[in-house]
Amino acid sequence: MAYQPLPFRAVAANVLLAVENGQSLSQCLPVALSQLPPEQRPQLQAICYGSCRWFHRLDGELNQRLKKPLRKPDRVVHHLMLVALFQLRFSEQATYAILNETVEACRELDKPHLTGLVNGVLRAAEREGAPEPEDDSSRFSHPMWMIEKLKHNWPDDWQAILGANNTQAPMTLRVNALRFSRDEYLNLLAEAGIGALATRFAPYGIQLERPVPVDRLPWFDDGAASVQDEAAQLCTTLLDLQPGQRVLDACAAPGGKTCAILEACAGLTEVVAIDESAERLPRVQENLDRLDLIATLTEADAANTGQWWDGQAFDRILLDVPCSATGVIRRHPDIKLLRRESDIVPLAGIQLGLLQAMWSVLKPGGRLVYATCSVFPQENHRIIQRFLKQQEQAQLIQIEAAWGRNMDTGRQLLPDPDSHDGFFYAVLEKPEP
Amino acid sequence: MILEILEYPDPRLRTIAKPVDEVTDDTRKLIDDMFETMYDAPGIGLAATQVNVHKQIIVMDVSDDNSEPRVFINPKIDVLDGELEAMQEGCLSVPGFYEDVKRIEHCRITAKDRNGEDFVLEATGLLAVCIQHEMDHLNGKLFVDYLSSLKRTRIRKKLEKLHKQSA
Repeated sequence: MAYQPLPFRAVAANVLLAVENGQSLSQCLPVALSQLPPEQRPQLQAICYGSCRWFHRLDGELNQRLKKPLRKPDRVVHHLMLVALFQLRFSEQATYAILNETVEACRELDKPHLTGLVNGVLRAAEREGAPEPEDDSSRFSHPMWMIEKLKHNWPDDWQAILGANNTQAPMTLRVNALRFSRDEYLNLLAEAGIGALATRFAPYGIQLERPVPVDRLPWFDDGAASVQDEAAQLCTTLLDLQPGQRVLDACAAPGGKTCAILEACAGLTEVVAIDESAERLPRVQENLDRLDLIATLTEADAANTGQWWDGQAFDRILLDVPCSATGVIRRHPDIKLLRRESDIVPLAGIQLGLLQAMWSVLKPGGRLVYATCSVFPQENHRIIQRFLKQQEQAQLIQIEAAWGRNMDTGRQLLPDPDSHDGFFYAVLEKPEP
Repeated sequence: MILEILEYPDPRLRTIAKPVDEVTDDTRKLIDDMFETMYDAPGIGLAATQVNVHKQIIVMDVSDDNSEPRVFINPKIDVLDGELEAMQEGCLSVPGFYEDVKRIEHCRITAKDRNGEDFVLEATGLLAVCIQHEMDHLNGKLFVDYLSSLKRTRIRKKLEKLHKQSA
C-alpha cells in the first residue's frame, strides 16, 4: 500500500467539510491531526478553530467573489479557499505562500481543473481587501437565526454576546483544594514564570494570562489543578456540600464538575457520576485518576431512572443538562455551523424531562442545581418556570451572588471576553414532607 | 534485490495466493527483497502478489521512520469492530492515485512471522487499513475495485496510457 500524507491545508479543508456535514471538531479533528506530522498539528488546530469562528464572515466574502457556487463534488475546494481567506484576513502568514500552497493543495485534492479559479479568487481577495459585509450574518460571523434569537432574547446585550463569542477564551484553572490553597498555587505558577490571576467569583479559580500546554503547569499530572472555566466552577458554590452527603452528577462527562464536587468537600459519602456516552465515560475516570479521587461511574441515560437507580435518594444533585452550548461558542466555534434553530425545542424537551426524572431521585430536604452552558432563556429560565408549574411543592432558592444576572428563576452569566463563559444556574429544594 | 512491481491492470494481480507450507531461507530471502522493494518505492505495505509471487506473504511498515517492519505469513483476519472509516489509500500497483476506501476500523490478525512462529496482533487505524489492503492483494483484489466503475475506468485508462508511453 502506498500512503501519501495530504498537505495540511487539504486536511484543514476536509475538516471544515466534515463540520459542515455535521461532525463536531472534537470528533473529526483528532483523526485529522493524526494524519499530520507533529510539528504541523498546532497550526492545523488553530486554522480549524479560526476558520469556524470566522466561517460566516469568510463564507460571505467568498460567496460574493464566486459568480456561482462550486458543484457539490468540488465543495471541498470552497473550504480550501475559506482556509486561505482566514489566513489572509487573520494571520501574519506571507500572502504568496498562502496562494501557492492553496493552489498546490487544490491539485493534491485531485481538483486540478479548479486551480485557475482558486488562484483568481485569492488574488482578487488579496488585492481588494476584505469587502464591506453584506448582512448581519457576515458582519457578526454567526448564523442568522442565532443573531435574531439573541436580539430578541437580549435586546441590550446581543452585540456584546456576539462579540464575546468571536474572541478566544482565556485558559482558567481550578486548583485542587485538597492539595493546595489558591495562593500557594499562584506562587507556584509565578515561580514557573506563568502569569496568572485569581478569578473574581470562583473560589479556587485561576485565570492564566495566556494559554499554556498543561504539561507546563506545576504538578499537573499529580492532580494539583484542572482546566475548567470559571462559570462551570461556580456549581460547587451552589450545592451547599456537607460531609456525609450522597451526591449525583447526572450528565457527568468529561467529569470536570464531578471532580470539582469531590475536591470541594472531603467527607462526601458517595458521588455517583452518570453519562450515557460509553465513549466519554473513560474521560471521567482519567480525570478522577489524575486527581486521585473516587466516584461511582455509571453508563446510563439519567432520565431513565429505572435503568440505573438503586432506590437510594440523593442529598444533592447537579444536573448539567445537554444544551445548545451557545454560552461556550468561543471555546467551540463549530457550534455556529452545527447547531440548528430546530434543535432548541427538542433540547428543551430533554432538559425538562431530565429535571423531572432527577427530581424523583432527590431526597426530601435535598437540593438540586440545574445548569446549562446556554444563553437562550428557552433552555434556562423557561425550563425552570415550566417545571415549577408542574411541581408546585418545589422550592426555588434565590441565588445570592455577585456574578451573573438575576432571572427570577436563576442567574444567567453571559460570556465575558475577559473571563467566564455563558452559563445558567438555578437552585431548587425539595421540602421535607 | 529490488523486485519489479506489477501494475494495474496487469491480470497477474488477480491471482489468488497459496498458503506457505514451510517458512524456509528462500522465504526469508523473498521477505528481505520485498522489504527492500517496499522501502525503495516508497510504500508502507507490499503483498507477494505484487511482485508476481503467489504465496500468502505480506511485508509492512507504517512507521514514519521505517522502524517497525512487520511480516505476515498465511494471515487470517477477525473483525473486532465493524465500524468503517474512510481513509485515503494508494497502492504501489496503482501508482499516483489516492482514493477514499472504507475499511473495518478494528481487527485481529493471526499469522506466522519470518521464523514461522504464530502470532496474534490487534490493529486499528492506519495499520488495520494497511493489513486489509494487503490481504486483498492475496485474494486478487485491488483497492480500485471499491471505487465507482467511472473512477476505476479513468484510472485504468490513465495507467494504460502511461504504460504504452514507457513501453
